[in-house]
Amino acid sequence: MHTLIGEIIESRTAEFVAEAVRYDQVPAYGSFVRVMDGELRVYGIVSGAYTGSLDGMSKAKAFFKSIDELKMEQPQIFELLRTEFSCVVVGYAQDGRYHPYYPPIHLSLHLPVEKADDDEILTISQHLGFLEKTLNSPAGNGEELTAAAIRMAARFHPDPREYIVRAGRELLKMLNYDTQRLKSILERVDIA
Amino acid sequence: MRGTILRGSLSGGLEVRLDIGENIEEVKVGTFCVVEGRTHDFFSMVVDEDIEAANPKAFYETLSDNSLLNEVVRGTGIIDKVKIQPMIAIRREDGRVQPVKSIPSYLSRVREAREEDVFKIFGRPDRTHFHVGSPLDMDHIPVCIDLKKFIERSNGIFGKSGTGKTFYTRIMLCGMIKSGLCNVLVFDMHSEYGWEGEDEDETRKKAKGLKQLFGSKVAIFTLDPESSRNRGVHPDFVVEIPYRSIEAEDIVMVREELNLNPTALEVIYVLQKHLGQDWLITFLNMDAFAIEEFAERTGAHAGALQALQRKLFKLQKLPFIKENPADDAVERIMQYLDSGMNVVLEFGHQRSMLAYMLVANILTRRIHELYVKRSERALGGMQGNNTPLVIVIEEAHKFLSPELSRQTIFGMIAREMRKYNVTLLVVDQRPSGIDPEVLSQLGTKIVALLTEEKDIESVLCGVNNARMLRNVLASLDTKQQAIIMGHAVPMPVVIKTRTYDETFYKEITRDEDGAFSRGPMAGHKQAFGSPAGNYGVDELPPGKEFEDLMKELYGI
Repeated sequence: MHTLIGEIIESRTAEFVAEAVRYDQVPAYGSFVRVMDGELRVYGIVSGAYTGSLDGMSKAKAFFKSIDELKMEQPQIFELLRTEFSCVVVGYAQDGRYHPYYPPIHLSLHLPVEKADDDEILTISQHLGFLEKTLNSPAGNGEELTAAAIRMAARFHPDPREYIVRAGRELLKMLNYDTQRLKSILERVDIA
Repeated sequence: MRGTILRGSLSGGLEVRLDIGENIEEVKVGTFCVVEGRTHDFFSMVVDEDIEAANPKAFYETLSDNSLLNEVVRGTGIIDKVKIQPMIAIRREDGRVQPVKSIPSYLSRVREAREEDVFKIFGRPDRTHFHVGSPLDMDHIPVCIDLKKFIERSNGIFGKSGTGKTFYTRIMLCGMIKSGLCNVLVFDMHSEYGWEGEDEDETRKKAKGLKQLFGSKVAIFTLDPESSRNRGVHPDFVVEIPYRSIEAEDIVMVREELNLNPTALEVIYVLQKHLGQDWLITFLNMDAFAIEEFAERTGAHAGALQALQRKLFKLQKLPFIKENPADDAVERIMQYLDSGMNVVLEFGHQRSMLAYMLVANILTRRIHELYVKRSERALGGMQGNNTPLVIVIEEAHKFLSPELSRQTIFGMIAREMRKYNVTLLVVDQRPSGIDPEVLSQLGTKIVALLTEEKDIESVLCGVNNARMLRNVLASLDTKQQAIIMGHAVPMPVVIKTRTYDETFYKEITRDEDGAFSRGPMAGHKQAFGSPAGNYGVDELPPGKEFEDLMKELYGI
């Protein structure tokens, strides 16, 4: 049972943008998504989201009322909203095998975006190469995104702390052994 | 210990990055480890350890409050590093042992040595491979010394006082006697090798001497029969030194003990020249008139002669120096040695350096002469028996100091090595006092803890990679730990020496086929289950052969 969460409206090799099914249903920042493109299953990590007017030109107007009041009084304004979210591409699977690098062809438009399954997330996050892609995310929020992705992935591992330590070690190398930056990332990962 | 080769050089040793999760605190300097290269296994020793950061900034950031970060950084950003020195290489293909002429490739795996590695390098215990101890933290694995090689050259046992030199010596003596590869002659200054010695271990108190362990293979000679008797030892022979066997060179050797100046030494040569073999006793018996007459006759200075005579009177106080001894000690020693026995000469109360050096020098000189003749005859194919002799001397720096080593017989033996089948086993606590030339000639060195910089330097002289071993030497335990290096071991190794206890006694007295060499006595002891070392007056001491007992009881 696949949960559709969006449709691709913009696609590059390294990232894609999808429009959410509903304006108020966005996948969590740093969560893992999947796009089926023919034989390929391409995986991405949600790297940001944006909600705005449907036409992209006009701006929403402030009403100074609670959401519930607005829904009662002005239900139509919600119909004019749309949400987009962007994802960094981290790898793809073909014939049951996962490849932790970009697919040979970038994704086509209008493909459905789904949440990745638990075991898929486990597989993807085993390959710590995804950290490099989150760290260098085009949106420029690499450290934040990396922390979020580790936080998300750790939950799917039997020993989350051990996973974070392993990811941290990989990260330290990517950061050219800059412990200060590593510290700032790990402080955002801290799980109870 | 597990890790990978990080970097290194042939001259400077290799650096090993410890695997994540390994505890550097558990890796001790001196540990025996193996680098598994692509085609060779490199047997190495841990010589140093340190902590390194890939990015030095990491050291200065406060990490302690973030345990997660600490865990991540440890082993990645900040690594535990062990420095090892490869000592020997084995080609895996054919098992050939080679000196290290290359280094293992980058990222070669490093692990602690295992039992089979130790055997591969040091051999398995057998008649000529003597188990002396085990590598650090590998308690039950025997490290063996190749005794054949050991006795080929002069050897040294060094260590600060209280580090167990006597025990190492005892263990090596046991090994040599048991192997039957050589005879030993021990100048036993403190009378601790023959019958029994002190054991600092409270539970044991007494350490068995060679006679107790080897019975008829060992003869105890004494300079002080009274002291021997008081200790319950029945010496095989009482050594007396005739005046006529004391030569000028013997006096030169003990010049410090006699407080002689260079002029006095010259006078001695004059005396010997004019008075011949009996110079000493004749000189000591001269009265003032005779001295003056002698001075006139020879042109020597009468005052100097008188002063010398006063100083030489000290020799008369040594009770073992006799005008006409009943028996010739050297001949007796040779007899015993020739019949394959080993001789321990106890000094009893005569433990002054004067007595020790004088006797050791006189006896050794003559024994050496005999061995030289014997070797020459053996070379000519005239005599079969030419078993090597190992002479054990203590306080060796007195005999082998740079000033004396060229003149004394000991210096000569140490230098000429095995040519004449006589080698030394020198035991000393101040190796820096020994002539460096002699030290560098020593084949195998067993070195316990030394702290004095000079001493460390001198024992390492003539050793490959000496710089690397320095740390190892300085970090040995004060007890039961020693580093063995040199001719008789393929590579230097730090060992925990064997304990000199009941187990050792049993093993050393057991024949190769498993039987006890002194079956009846051992059986007797076991049958009565008498506690070790606690023999009543009437009870037979262990290790006494029938002949010994007969000699004691009936004097035959």
